[in-house]
Amino acid sequence: MSEYRAPIRDMQFVLKELAGLDEVVQLPGCEEASADVVDAVLEEAAKFAEGVLSPLNMGGDQEGALFKDGQVTMPRGFKEAYRQFAESGWTALGCEPEWGGQGLPKLLAAPVSEMWKSANHAFSLCPLLTSGAIEALVLSGTDTLKQTFLEKMVSGEWTGTMNITEPGAGSDLAAIRTRAEPQADNTYKVFGQKIFITYGEHDLAENIIHLVLARTPTAPEGIKGISLFIVPKFMVNDDGSPGARNDAWCVSIEHKLGIHASPTAVMAFGDKGGATGYLVGEENRGIEYMFIMMNAARFGVGMEGVAVCERAYQRARDYARDRVQGTDIGVRGGAKVPIIAHPDVRRMLMSMRAQAEASRALAYVVAGAHDKALHHPDTELRKQNQAFADLMIPVVKGWSTEIGIKVASTGIQVHGGMGYMEETGASQHLRDARISTIYEGTTGIQANDLIGRKMARDGGATLRSVIGMMRALDADLARQGNEHLSAIRTRFQAAVDELARAGEWLVANYAKDVRAASAGAVPFLTLFGIVAGGWQMTRAALVAQAKIDGGDSDPFYPAKVITARFFADHLLSQAEGLASTVIEGATGVMVLAEEQF
Amino acid sequence: MSILVIAEHNNSSIKAATLNTVTAAAKIGGEIHLLVAGSGCAVVADSATKIAGVSRVLLADAAHYADQSPENIAALVVAHAPAYSHVLAAATTIGKNLMPRIAALLDVAQISEIVAVESPDTFVRPIYAGNVLATVQSSDPVKAITVRTTAFEAAGDGGSATLETLAASADQGQSKLISSELTQSARPELSAAKTIVSGGRGMGSGENYHKLLEPLADKLGAALGASRAAVDAGFVPNDFQVGQTGKIVAPQLYIAIGISGAIQHLAGMKDSRYIVAINKDAESPIFQVADYGLVGDLFELVPALTAALD
Amino acid sequence: MKILVPVKRVVDYNVKVRVKADGTGVDIANVKMSMNPFDEIAIEEAVRLKEAGIATEVVAVSAGLANCQETLRTAMALGADRSILIETDAELQPLAVAKLLKAVCVKEQPQVVLCGKQAIDDDANQTGQMLAALMNWPQATFASKVMVAGGKATVTREIDGGLETIEIGLPAVVTTDLRLNEPRYATLPNIMKAKKKPLETLTPAALGVDVAPRLKALKMAEPPKRAGGVLVKDVAELIAKLKNEAKVI
Repeated sequence: MSEYRAPIRDMQFVLKELAGLDEVVQLPGCEEASADVVDAVLEEAAKFAEGVLSPLNMGGDQEGALFKDGQVTMPRGFKEAYRQFAESGWTALGCEPEWGGQGLPKLLAAPVSEMWKSANHAFSLCPLLTSGAIEALVLSGTDTLKQTFLEKMVSGEWTGTMNITEPGAGSDLAAIRTRAEPQADNTYKVFGQKIFITYGEHDLAENIIHLVLARTPTAPEGIKGISLFIVPKFMVNDDGSPGARNDAWCVSIEHKLGIHASPTAVMAFGDKGGATGYLVGEENRGIEYMFIMMNAARFGVGMEGVAVCERAYQRARDYARDRVQGTDIGVRGGAKVPIIAHPDVRRMLMSMRAQAEASRALAYVVAGAHDKALHHPDTELRKQNQAFADLMIPVVKGWSTEIGIKVASTGIQVHGGMGYMEETGASQHLRDARISTIYEGTTGIQANDLIGRKMARDGGATLRSVIGMMRALDADLARQGNEHLSAIRTRFQAAVDELARAGEWLVANYAKDVRAASAGAVPFLTLFGIVAGGWQMTRAALVAQAKIDGGDSDPFYPAKVITARFFADHLLSQAEGLASTVIEGATGVMVLAEEQF
Repeated sequence: MSILVIAEHNNSSIKAATLNTVTAAAKIGGEIHLLVAGSGCAVVADSATKIAGVSRVLLADAAHYADQSPENIAALVVAHAPAYSHVLAAATTIGKNLMPRIAALLDVAQISEIVAVESPDTFVRPIYAGNVLATVQSSDPVKAITVRTTAFEAAGDGGSATLETLAASADQGQSKLISSELTQSARPELSAAKTIVSGGRGMGSGENYHKLLEPLADKLGAALGASRAAVDAGFVPNDFQVGQTGKIVAPQLYIAIGISGAIQHLAGMKDSRYIVAINKDAESPIFQVADYGLVGDLFELVPALTAALD
Repeated sequence: MKILVPVKRVVDYNVKVRVKADGTGVDIANVKMSMNPFDEIAIEEAVRLKEAGIATEVVAVSAGLANCQETLRTAMALGADRSILIETDAELQPLAVAKLLKAVCVKEQPQVVLCGKQAIDDDANQTGQMLAALMNWPQATFASKVMVAGGKATVTREIDGGLETIEIGLPAVVTTDLRLNEPRYATLPNIMKAKKKPLETLTPAALGVDVAPRLKALKMAEPPKRAGGVLVKDVAELIAKLKNEAKVI
């Protein structure tokens, strides 16, 4: 049985060599995160993920969250693990020091959250949702709301949820029908049903703070008439303790393909006279507030993709080392060998590893940019980094989660028949990973966000600046005498050209024929993911080669160069086909009449 | 060159570990003296004269040696040790407690848990939980050594050593035995057991662990052990753990049930003389170290095995 | 009351070490290092004694290369108040470490030294006992329960075949066994605080200790691999093999 080991070495490499940790820790407000603190945090988080969260993963899947009489009982061990998690201060890592947080940069939060997700995806959703709710409150809540709720949410004593989806309002938020009626005391009474509410009910914490999107009676129709409310499960007494039960009830939880330990609640608000809610910010600006949080939430789900790539890779690798089957190819009657000796198994493992490393590098680089966008003293640099992060977040979310599914599936393939059996744990990764391309905006929504709001809107300017950064590597690549670096250079140059070709076509055609552009949106997102992942692997290879040339004997570096080489030959090589699909593929998508389907 | 072996006993009989230690001493070569320090333990010294290979038995009988406190025994040994080239004790909890104290007082290094004697100054000892065997040479005038008893046969009887009495050293008065609580069950202690029945995560629950493994262990007179996974899952307490961070064992027979064979578990038991593995997954690494493997459902096989041992 | 806790930086227990091809040692370049697990238990016990109001200060001490600082930071993240690094690139054997610790004890005057019963790299199980001898202090090894009151420690020890409880006067050395406690996970605020706690660096020379090794490693080798055995078809065949072939039942 494979046990999760946090890939601390690769995490440190990416943080320091690719994502600019040194620069980030110089930023005002990030000084606490000195290099030794970063190492210590990674070490201790790894211990917790490996020692507490990972051992609960399979049992949590088998047992699942249990619903009975309006109450949800979490699988064995989760309550104690959550208590330890909160007491250890992990919920507070990225939160504002004003509310008891540690205020550590997003660049450090990224690897730590990757560990939680790799170790136990279902568990990790509880803190993920809570931190989203905290962020909404910090940005838009009144002082009273902040004082009432924030400290206990940061400390993890209370958890948070996001109540967005309704039976008739999924990806289309304009269709939200939940009502909020203003009361004389400035509170609201909330009525309506919400579905797919992650951790909407559970027994991990003494109170649950729901953030609920709803309409006030005077609100305009559509997306501009939605407001954001806080609806606590228990009202809060003057001394801060939980008081009377609010009229917010879990009426059932969903039976799902995966993340069985994460209770997905159907929530009923106001069945018994109205749930007391508090307006966050101003009326009718709820969607705007949600969008502020959206980047963080989408990035967080993107990390799930990275995390499952890593976890599935480790499990498949451990199995391939142990499983003895067949002789070395081309050797008759020789000794039986572990399947890791077989070229096709190695190909699968390398593709898992390469995509795990590439998606990690890309995600952390984006996290670093996000820190610079928030904290850099130079306004222009803040703006540039924000634009970069905004452009890349749909790629991180869409691409990492899509490859997460593929990598988890490849993991099963490495196991052969045993992988299809639940007992190896390989299939759980695939089932768990399957949600990540759906929630927080499907891949289709990410791709449309990417080509529309993030590319067409600025006429492709940010895209061009990113392509410029990619091309700027060529001078360094051209100086390399190494055979692997030359091969990487050729592939990378060609792939960047394809990204530019497809990107320029989209920018040019978006306004003219948005349907054709949209038909190619997901292939373009895939192309962008591969080239951006290849970009980071190429940078990694350059750093690694420089270390080797400088006499460093750490075997990590040659392995990094070869993994980058694999990524170039097996993934960057797909760029041309994807670019052609983007540019020429719309006809095949759009021509059939609906009734012909 | 003569060798002092410190006997382990309970004031009424000698412990078997002493016999293995005598064999290790014999491999070094030289006259072997056996120290029996205790209280009212003349009977032990008498019987020790019959151990093959021992030429002299030294009896130190005093009330303050009754509970073998390392402070008092070390003081006694250090007074006599300079006359010897080697001082040996078994690597039991008593020997491990005592010998470093002697070594430090003599200002010599200790060589812990030797598994082979290469020459009078060169020994083999396992490090990294047995994953590495180190051959080490000592330059000290007295070699302080503990002996891994499973690596040496027990010395036989047929000896006829002379018996001498040593004057007791002064009572250090540093330590007082309040109580001892020896395991009452017929089951032997894990690190000294000849047979161990060990369960892993495959047992499914603590209840299954006890229900299935206890009857089998009772039949075999075996100690019970567990893998780290079983301990982590809460089936049994931590002191059942066999492995790199648990107990290192080397019984004659180790029966691993529902244990996949993680590296850190193998590190704790791979020196067992015979290993039996029962596991439903034929690919488990445990089968790569097992002398006899039985693939199948442990919930059927273990009761069948227990029943068949009648 | 001050408690001194020696901690050792060792190859992480999950790492399978490899012997260098030339047999001169073990290849520990680029492998993950951690605090010796038994030392973690010692830190935990010391911190619990402090939390119980019995100890007033917990001082962690380590000897070795500069990067032992990381191990000391971990100890402080777990609750040690400050630490001392005896920095040296010399090979340190248990007797030398005990002498270094003696020098620290003379300087710091702790009432209790709590240390791991053995390190999982050299598996020597010597340092605590040696330190007790050099200080002429009583020792309580392999502790599974420690109570400190009235200038005495009452320690339950794990011995072959069961447990025994002894009473020793303080100052004393206590070494920890596995069952003593379950070490906590470091909390994030304490990890952050750890970097601000004092860490003093000393050298063997400054302490006047000769650390020259007494044992020379002539050769390192991996033990012979166990050959895989046979699969038996049923319980009857297993019993037959154990009886007739192995002769162990």
